[in-house]
Amino acid sequence: MHIPDGFLPLWLSAVFWVISIIFVSFSLKWASKEMNEKTVPMFSALAAGIFAIQAMNMPIPWGTSGHMIGAALTAIVFNSPWAGVLMLALVLIVQGLFFADGGLIVMGANIFNMGVIGGFLGYYVFKALKKVNFHLSVFLSGWAATFFAAVFCTIQLAISGTFPIDLGLQFMGIYHAVIGIIEGIITLVVISYVSSVRPDLLKVSKKVITHE
Amino acid sequence: MNKNNKVIVFGLTIALVIGLLAPFLASGNPDGLESAAEKIMNEHILSKNLEEIGLEEEGTIIPSPMPDYSISGMEKLGEVIAMIIGIFVMTAFAFLVGSIFKNSSSKN
Repeated sequence: MHIPDGFLPLWLSAVFWVISIIFVSFSLKWASKEMNEKTVPMFSALAAGIFAIQAMNMPIPWGTSGHMIGAALTAIVFNSPWAGVLMLALVLIVQGLFFADGGLIVMGANIFNMGVIGGFLGYYVFKALKKVNFHLSVFLSGWAATFFAAVFCTIQLAISGTFPIDLGLQFMGIYHAVIGIIEGIITLVVISYVSSVRPDLLKVSKKVITHE
Repeated sequence: MNKNNKVIVFGLTIALVIGLLAPFLASGNPDGLESAAEKIMNEHILSKNLEEIGLEEEGTIIPSPMPDYSISGMEKLGEVIAMIIGIFVMTAFAFLVGSIFKNSSSKN
């Protein structure tokens, strides 16, 4: 879902740079409170894994493919949407600068869609549903993060005039409703694994997992 | 090696395994956004936007050293190397940013 340069006009790219810089600076505030001997290695390990899995495009129907985003996963691991914002900002910077994956002018929009929408939607879906069913909440967190990041991406493209809103929502919605299933499954697999092997690394673990 | 640094080694190992496989297993089909763009893109608006930033086609404004996770003229090997470089750069960058803020928080 990485928007390339050219899909958005300069003014809209600038608007989303401003919005994203505000969100990223708050995420750095989160980092200054939460980064320690334990969280820095976990954050770095997760960054490596998310970078790698983002390059593994998986086929979905309609001759299309999709890949993991990882903002919901990060937000759940660190029990904060800001962790997801920071993670995706860093991942998108590396992808944009080194691999031409996502434009530099539109990077603010990409950070907003995948980091801010992904991180916040992912986190609050998880938080709202974790008491109902932990595993379902983790899956839906990943799914919703992907789906709504795509919806916001479509809205930006529709504002730009590059996509018509109706067909945009239809195509982007259907594709990412399916890609979201991949996101949900991987998010669930990683959270389940970490919670069984190193529950101390999951900030939510004490409250939620031990109650199961 | 302490328990926490083991986490990095474990994460890197998993990432490198995925990174080595990705060039061979990843689907070459367009992703959701590209696929939608192929079908419904307003070409007129696209060329107007491209003109505004001085690009011939959509991409990035500053050329990347390893566009599309590849190294020119190196085929699959180049893709594997690009992934390995990317994984190490990513880990180091996240560690660096994390460490800067770790120090700032311990001083306060």
